[in-house]
Amino acid sequence: MSTRPPTLREKRRYILARIEPTGTMLEQKELYYAISDATTSLWGDATTAIITPAVVALEFGHVVIRCRRGTERELAIALSTVTACRDVRICLRIIAASGTIESLRSRFRPKKTPKTKTQPAPEPESEKTDTVIDAGIEPVLPECTFVKKTFIIVHCNGQKVDVIEKGFKNTNRLFLTKDDLENLNATTISDWI
Amino acid sequence: MKITDAAVYPYPLGDASVRRLALEAAALGFDSIVAADTPSGTYGGVEVRSGLMIRDVPIKDVISAVKRSKDSGRVISVNAANNNFNRAVIGLKGVHILRGIQSADKLAFDHVAAKMAADNRVAVDIDLSPIMMGRSVVRQRAIHRYMDIMVLEQRFEFPITLSTHARSFLDMRNVRDITGICSLIGMDIPDVERALAGVDLVLTPQVPSVRVIA
Repeated sequence: MSTRPPTLREKRRYILARIEPTGTMLEQKELYYAISDATTSLWGDATTAIITPAVVALEFGHVVIRCRRGTERELAIALSTVTACRDVRICLRIIAASGTIESLRSRFRPKKTPKTKTQPAPEPESEKTDTVIDAGIEPVLPECTFVKKTFIIVHCNGQKVDVIEKGFKNTNRLFLTKDDLENLNATTISDWI
Repeated sequence: MKITDAAVYPYPLGDASVRRLALEAAALGFDSIVAADTPSGTYGGVEVRSGLMIRDVPIKDVISAVKRSKDSGRVISVNAANNNFNRAVIGLKGVHILRGIQSADKLAFDHVAAKMAADNRVAVDIDLSPIMMGRSVVRQRAIHRYMDIMVLEQRFEFPITLSTHARSFLDMRNVRDITGICSLIGMDIPDVERALAGVDLVLTPQVPSVRVIA
């Protein structure tokens, strides 16, 4: 079957959304089911068929969702009702809509820095930590104290700190700030003394 | 005009600290939030207003709770129940918001209550969480009730507030998303803007239109 000429193809739009909380590992197919479920639940089968949502890319904590041109508003409202993906709590924050995927990719792909002749000396293997240090993401601290409990820091970006209680009983994420930790650490110092 | 989320629940009721919620609210385009059981303050440029949510208590207890925190500067809101209860609550001085109208009785908020709310400047809260998180009957019922409220609002012009009832920053939505969700219940952009400024409106003391000098 030959492909249709561009003038006869249906016009599409692409919506870029950021997945929160940062660092959530999702599969493209599961996210598609979550979005499709949200769209069908809100607008019904007939309108969902017109919207034809599809997840076309899932990378760097961002998702690109395809829809038919003119249905961006309906899809955006449906995306704001996505609260979970296979029992993992998520939230999709819409960033932009565009007619091409490439223009959206340029928004979230890390920019390549031009290579210079004088490269800094590479770190010795022993000094390297397990923490991945991306651009804009600060190196994370391993542990912190909050309401007299020990937490493991899973993500830290600017003021925002995401923690999980140490141990195996409670694995829910808590969303805090650095100020919270500083204040609470200050209050827990007396216990140590 | 301050764009306000009329109800959020920080830690320990939710899983995010009030500072984190304020930071996220700033990123989502809000100027202030009403946080339950939290002291007032300003974090990251967002004003955090202390909120008192009264629920599931008889009217006698509501009166005493409102009296206790009358001049505390807190945003006092009461959960809706039957029609008589709602009328009594709206008539109370010091109550700012009537909440949970979507889960109250079908006839809990009628035209008389709407007129009283307009006269006493008590806002009716539109909780967006059943629309965002609810599915099927829960969502349908909430949309229907809110559409009914909006009909009364157009007629009597009582204040409206919008809240996400977020227990995590993941439950919060930006102003554009809220506008989209509110379009499901027949609110246009000016309505949403008015509703987002509703908390500011009910907290501003009423100035009488006619002032007797002597």
